[in-house]
Amino acid sequence: MNAAASPAGLAATWDLRQGERELLLSCLGCIALGFVLVLGSEHAAGRQLTVSAVLPLLVYGLSLIGLHLALVLLRFRGDQVLTAVVACLAGFGLLAQYRMGAFAGTLGADDPELYLIPAGFAALLVTAVAGANGRYRWLAKGLWLWAGVSLLLLVVLLVTGTRFRGAVYALGFTTPTEVLKVTVILGLAAYLERHARTLARWHPRFPLLPPLRALWPLLVFWVLLVGLLALQRDLGMIVILSVVLVLLLVRATGRVGYFGYGLLAAAGAGALLLTFFAHGQRRVEAWLDPFQDPTGDGWQILQGLSGMYAGGLWGEGFGNGSPEYTPIARSDFIYAVIGEELGFLGCVLVALFFLILVQRGIMIAGQARTDFGRLLAAGLTTVLAVQTLLNLGGVTKAIPLTGITLPFISHGGASLLTTFSVVGLLLAISDGQVGAARRPARTVKRAAAVDATPPAPVPAPRPVERPARPRRRPAEPKTP
Amino acid sequence: MTVSTPLQLFGALVDSAAWPALRIILHLAFFAAAVIILWRIWTRLAGAKARPGQTLQLFAALPMAGVAAAFLGVLLYQASWQLTGLFRPEFVAFMQSHDRREFNPAHRIQRGRILDRHGQVLAESQERDGRVYRVYPFGRAFAHTVGYSDPRFGAIGAEAAANAQLNGATPEVLASWGELGRQLLTKDKRPRGQDLELTLDAELQLLALQLLGSRHGAVVLLRPADGALLVLANNPAFDPNRLSPALFSGPAAGTPLLNRATQGLYPPGSVFKVVLAAAAIESGFNGTLNCPAGGYTTSSRYPPIRDHDYYTAAKAGRTWTGHGNLNLTTALVESSNVFFAQLGVRLGHDSFAGAGERFQFDRQVRLYPGTDRYGNLSTGRLPRFARNDLYGLAQASIGQGRVLATPGHLATIAAAVANRGLAMRPRLLAQEPPAPLGQYMAEQTAARLAQILRKVVTTGTGRGIDGPQLAIAGKTGTAQNPRGAAHSWFIGFAPAAAPTLAVAVLVEHGGYGSSAAAPIARDLLLKAMELENAR
Repeated sequence: MNAAASPAGLAATWDLRQGERELLLSCLGCIALGFVLVLGSEHAAGRQLTVSAVLPLLVYGLSLIGLHLALVLLRFRGDQVLTAVVACLAGFGLLAQYRMGAFAGTLGADDPELYLIPAGFAALLVTAVAGANGRYRWLAKGLWLWAGVSLLLLVVLLVTGTRFRGAVYALGFTTPTEVLKVTVILGLAAYLERHARTLARWHPRFPLLPPLRALWPLLVFWVLLVGLLALQRDLGMIVILSVVLVLLLVRATGRVGYFGYGLLAAAGAGALLLTFFAHGQRRVEAWLDPFQDPTGDGWQILQGLSGMYAGGLWGEGFGNGSPEYTPIARSDFIYAVIGEELGFLGCVLVALFFLILVQRGIMIAGQARTDFGRLLAAGLTTVLAVQTLLNLGGVTKAIPLTGITLPFISHGGASLLTTFSVVGLLLAISDGQVGAARRPARTVKRAAAVDATPPAPVPAPRPVERPARPRRRPAEPKTP
Repeated sequence: MTVSTPLQLFGALVDSAAWPALRIILHLAFFAAAVIILWRIWTRLAGAKARPGQTLQLFAALPMAGVAAAFLGVLLYQASWQLTGLFRPEFVAFMQSHDRREFNPAHRIQRGRILDRHGQVLAESQERDGRVYRVYPFGRAFAHTVGYSDPRFGAIGAEAAANAQLNGATPEVLASWGELGRQLLTKDKRPRGQDLELTLDAELQLLALQLLGSRHGAVVLLRPADGALLVLANNPAFDPNRLSPALFSGPAAGTPLLNRATQGLYPPGSVFKVVLAAAAIESGFNGTLNCPAGGYTTSSRYPPIRDHDYYTAAKAGRTWTGHGNLNLTTALVESSNVFFAQLGVRLGHDSFAGAGERFQFDRQVRLYPGTDRYGNLSTGRLPRFARNDLYGLAQASIGQGRVLATPGHLATIAAAVANRGLAMRPRLLAQEPPAPLGQYMAEQTAARLAQILRKVVTTGTGRGIDGPQLAIAGKTGTAQNPRGAAHSWFIGFAPAAAPTLAVAVLVEHGGYGSSAAAPIARDLLLKAMELENAR
């Protein structure tokens, strides 16, 4: 995982990424097995199989191979498990979408559905390579750009978008707000990197008082953001971004007090939303007691759960269930489809893949060389984790429905591309070690600090050791 | 079949008999592949962690533990639906009625039985040729109370009200948790729903129906102390074993679908005088009223309300001189219309409305717990009069005019008199704890009323059913109605000194209460007492 610091030749990178290669190939094998299963069920159900039916698997396999070869060719040294996990999750998504009839009818080589996953991998590749070698730190400069773009996007969408089922959609039913998951986090990480020290300085005499002077631009931005999102009734996005805000504040400043204010704000906002938005109110009621109105508000969640109950432990088998009885199964309720066809075991597998994804993100955040990288990686990982948990929790009735997609698996181009880009950024940060190596002064200081405790032998090819404590270090003049 | 391309070969394979087995193998292989990937990642990460300086640190461990705990929580909660969903009766009921997935095991749950208080089977599921049928051994005898559960016609009665319990299992129903595990692994979920015990007594119910014979009517027998319904019999009824669309299409002759005991609204006639007598006692009325043979009216424009003795005498060509001055006891014992019509007007509109309120008219009382859509007990309808409508009030005071009541509610009123004025909510499910419905009258009022009602049977209109075996107290009723002969009523309780049973009998167009309804009540009470003493 850790890159060799010496100039890497093509052969060296080929060897280095052997682990990724193996994982990707197993992943391809696994998805191929599932694909045969789905194809068989389609045929058994009386659908005519043509050569084009195999196209999705072919395109998927080619994109995995292409991704790997490109990473090797570009001497990419970032995380290898992350790409494999994303490939697996995307494969699950492919199977589930294929099964739900995403590629039904006349499937030709020009079907845009076919290129969603390759496009995702391309987005991942581009962001990872573009930001590699520490280049991602340039993104910190665009602090006000990110903030401006985020708000502008929301305003434009509110003016031009069309409403459907309460939410706002742009042209062609896309949801451009997905981009906020990247832009807002970028802006947040940049802001916190700049002001972490002042934000950590709470009032000396009133220890409960946060430094409002450093906080107010952030708060104003946030109020605008949440307000605009509330107008769009994008409750899920509000939750995701706000959780990231609080966690990053704590992470950047080491001040646990921000948690407390976060909880207070969450309680207040929750009460406010529930009193003013009938939409949210109904969802909470449907969540608390779906049997109150089983054929109305509780219908979707109960149909999803019925499918899962029917699936039981093993599942009905890919292609053998009847997930079409669950409304909007392809996007928000894709997890219920997996539960129905792969059973509880399949759900556990999916959850484990997501857990590994989060684990990689957390490790990358811990190993990043710059404050910005640490914060950005932590923020992006939190986005993925919260989004996944909101979706899983909503579908299983553990929490109210928020109408949020499951990363990599749910249907939806904008969501898919965004999550792939998020992983691309994480990969870029994981490749960022070299940037720090270029600055020997800092490295020596840190290495010394580590060595001071137990004189642990440092392996020769890895002169750079990661710091022992995650505490925010005093801000140093950054050389971009 | 010619096989030329790999795709056709695959198609042939899928069509072959080996596909179901192959499908399961592929399914397991898919799981295995995913597990192998996870295993490889795990060894890789574990190996990476083993390097010096790479140990998992608090800043990484804490959020990771949090996320892992959240995932675990979601998965566990999911399992409570996906794996042990049959412990959620409402969920199972939802799936049975709304899930169209044929492979859903909820559709193969064997519905629980419905039993009477002694374990007699009133409804059970039987499997014939791989299909499950609902069988009602007593046919039409319990049609309204037990109801039916039919894939075409839905469900009513206890079948509908306790649907969740009948379908849902509890851990105790399964032999053990091991059995649950076996069912999960083999996907052979065939739980049996829970049995439902009713308070009804099949023997008494059958007797009541036998006593009614071919006459239309309803019989209600309950225990005053706890509201447990022993008999809730209706005639005519329908056979829940043989439901047909014709039964539901339009008003059938005799309206067999109507649950007369709980929903049938009838003029109560003289039995309503019990309500008025209670109101009079509570208002402190202690005098006498003159009851001439000429009857009583509020205005010369309306025909006078007369006593039945007048009509009997007129029929026989005799002249009747009237009751003269009557006190409350004698008036109730003789069931004097003239007395109670005057009494009602004397007490006034407010007092009348107050009595209706206290006796909980114009209500729906739920017989089953939970949903109120099935099997409510309608108490009746009490009209609201204009201030100057005294004749209406006089008519209502003798249970005529626009006053309507159900046999079930009148039985509850009799039970309240027997239970020191406290009405217990009538209930059908044995598992349900007794609950009070309302204090219909003060304890002393009830005691005095009980004495008068006993006197009705010993010396008054009900003396025909008095016998040495059982001291019955009660009130007869003969309710005029526009559709034919008068309805015959009897409400009462026994034994008079320490009542354990309360009854209401209605025989549609049965004539005098003393001749049709009262003997049924007597025979039923005798049998019930006999059974009670035998047990």
